Amino acid sequence: MTDWNTLSDEEFRTQVRTFFESEYPEELRHLPHRPTFAEIEHWHVKLHAKGWVAPAWPVEHGGMGLEAAKLIIFYEEQQRHGVIRGRDMGVQMVGPLIIKFGTQEQKDDWLPRILSCEDIWCQGYSEPGAGSDLANLRTSAVIDGDDFVINGQKIWTTMAHDASHIFMLVRTDPDAPRKQQGISFVLAAMDQPGVEVRTITTLAGETEFCEVFFDDARTPRANLVGEIDKGWSMAKALLSFERIFIGSPALAQNALGQLETFARGRGAFEDAVFRDRFSELALDVEDHAALYSRFADQLKRGETLGADVSMLKIWVTETYQRISELMIEVAGPDGGTIGPLQVGNVGVDVLASFYKARPTTIYGGSNEIQRNILSKAVLGL
Amino acid sequence: MTDEQNEDLRLLRDSVHTLLDRAGGIARARRVRDEAVHWDAALWQELAEAGVLGVATPEQAGGFGMGLPAAGVIAHELGRVITPEPVVPAIGLAIGLMHRLCPDDPALADAIAGGVPPAVAWQERGPRGVSGQIDCAFDGKALNGAKDWVVGAGKAERLLVVAKSSAGLAFVRVATGGAGVAMQARKQSDGSVQHGVTFTGAAAELLAEGNVVSTALADAVADTTALAAAELVGLSASALELTLDYIKTREQFDKLIGAFQAIQHRAVDMKIMQEVAEATIRETLVVMEGADTAQRSRQASRAKARACTAAQKITREAIQLHGAVGYTDEFDIGLLLNRALVLSAWLGDATYHRRRWLDARETEGATQ
Repeated sequence: MTDWNTLSDEEFRTQVRTFFESEYPEELRHLPHRPTFAEIEHWHVKLHAKGWVAPAWPVEHGGMGLEAAKLIIFYEEQQRHGVIRGRDMGVQMVGPLIIKFGTQEQKDDWLPRILSCEDIWCQGYSEPGAGSDLANLRTSAVIDGDDFVINGQKIWTTMAHDASHIFMLVRTDPDAPRKQQGISFVLAAMDQPGVEVRTITTLAGETEFCEVFFDDARTPRANLVGEIDKGWSMAKALLSFERIFIGSPALAQNALGQLETFARGRGAFEDAVFRDRFSELALDVEDHAALYSRFADQLKRGETLGADVSMLKIWVTETYQRISELMIEVAGPDGGTIGPLQVGNVGVDVLASFYKARPTTIYGGSNEIQRNILSKAVLGL
Repeated sequence: MTDEQNEDLRLLRDSVHTLLDRAGGIARARRVRDEAVHWDAALWQELAEAGVLGVATPEQAGGFGMGLPAAGVIAHELGRVITPEPVVPAIGLAIGLMHRLCPDDPALADAIAGGVPPAVAWQERGPRGVSGQIDCAFDGKALNGAKDWVVGAGKAERLLVVAKSSAGLAFVRVATGGAGVAMQARKQSDGSVQHGVTFTGAAAELLAEGNVVSTALADAVADTTALAAAELVGLSASALELTLDYIKTREQFDKLIGAFQAIQHRAVDMKIMQEVAEATIRETLVVMEGADTAQRSRQASRAKARACTAAQKITREAIQLHGAVGYTDEFDIGLLLNRALVLSAWLGDATYHRRRWLDARETEGATQ
């Protein structure tokens, strides 16, 4: 087995790039929507055979065991080539949770099925009354013999209608003095009578989010991960590495590329005002990438990231929105039209970009919450 | 305006407001969208009976002669509840052109009385969006060329087309289902449909030609642009109201989200934006009434620039302040955002109209 970390960064980058370029299915490049597993199974099979499903997991659990520097290169190449992240809740969230806090039995039981995608996972965090204030969650899990009995509702559960399992935060002690206490992490099967999934239609007409209702659903007590009532701090620990990726320049860079293609096709670059606005945005993207590198370097040196990493998400999501709004302006009278707008030989879906940018300032901790974090934890206000 | 005129406008606003709320408000717009018919015949008839369609048509042409400010009041109300039917295109373009160019044609009286209005095809597509000129040609009998961004053509049986002819411009009528007429539907974000139309030797009936056509077109387009602005401002009023209701009921961290100062300041900025836009639209409609073509166009651009800016800012902020539910189709706020996209793009967005306004201002300055 290759120890990827012994390769030079350049050599590693070349290998990753070559693999994506030669093996990644062309029709899945820069996929505009979130795919079901059936749509991407042929790609997953290749990735699994290569042993590249879980770049961040330790080698002993079937991962690539990449250190931070290599991991960042891996994700950069993935984004550059337009490789979908796939149905990776299992790999990104559940696996690390089990590896860090699970029992040996849980590791042996769940991890191989995450890698093979025999189990497809969704994340049950948010509830109607617990969005920004996640600790306010009320879905309950009560011990009954060898099982937990689960009642309540989750919402914004991405692709729950195409998932076999859910990992969720539930309230196991309703009488805890602070609401962050008394929360536990449990795993549950979706295919059972007490679980009902309804898709939510977005204003863009898509159905990737779901509501999940639990009515006396059951899961074995053995599916509790970590200590009971200690789920909150585990969830926070899980997010520490993820937080840099939500502030990655990728979405804004792709959108800027689309804006450029579209605006060149429409002759907008001949206009001095447009040139100024475009270059302002292009520099916003480029300069954000400089700040991103600063945080990435911190990770590469093996340091943990502080609360200040929230700056990345605020900057990049708001830049992304401005780019998508400028695209609507360049479209002019076609700005409300659904579907790709033709410029030369390519179609640019201006409206899809606009829609995709809207929720980025809401999900993953709204930008209001991120600003609160920064003012408190960084500025000491 | 006199007190009496203001009182008339208030009564008109109340009656149209009640009529549209009774018809179902925004829920009706959602139903019309989901049924994909884009047309509620019962509502159209009610609007006609309330005098909406002929509101800005002079009395001597068979209208009610209440002028643009009255039409603006109506457009605001239409925007408030989202009205997918092409009321503003009917009042401003179809009826607006007919009462200027062919006031005796029975089609005018029919449209004012609530018949399905003809759709007006005047803009053409160039490589960068709207072409600056009219190339579609009328040779005395037939029409050749292409038009785009035609609103209301899905239901209409006739198109009113502005084409070039030996006399300059011609205003002609074509049957939508006739030979040589090909229509291409383009679905919009709010569920409505605009059409691109290609004419290849399509039989056309001449209604008017010469300089009168270019003047009437400029005036009618200016009126329609200002009315679209009024509709947008009605729409953003709704978006603001829904958002204020939401932040006064949604709790997180054990208090109303509207109790957070960060949210309060943003809500206040939205309110200021809305009030400036409403005042601007009211003033421009009054100034446009009786103004010459140049002044009319300049004021219309001022109105549309302001309305697009306000509606875009307010609807986008509204989604953010609603959080994740704002991104769902279930909440009405998304319908307002989608409608704002279409109304902003139609007849020119803020950037386009700011430039036109400045061009007009400089031209006026040069002639004084």
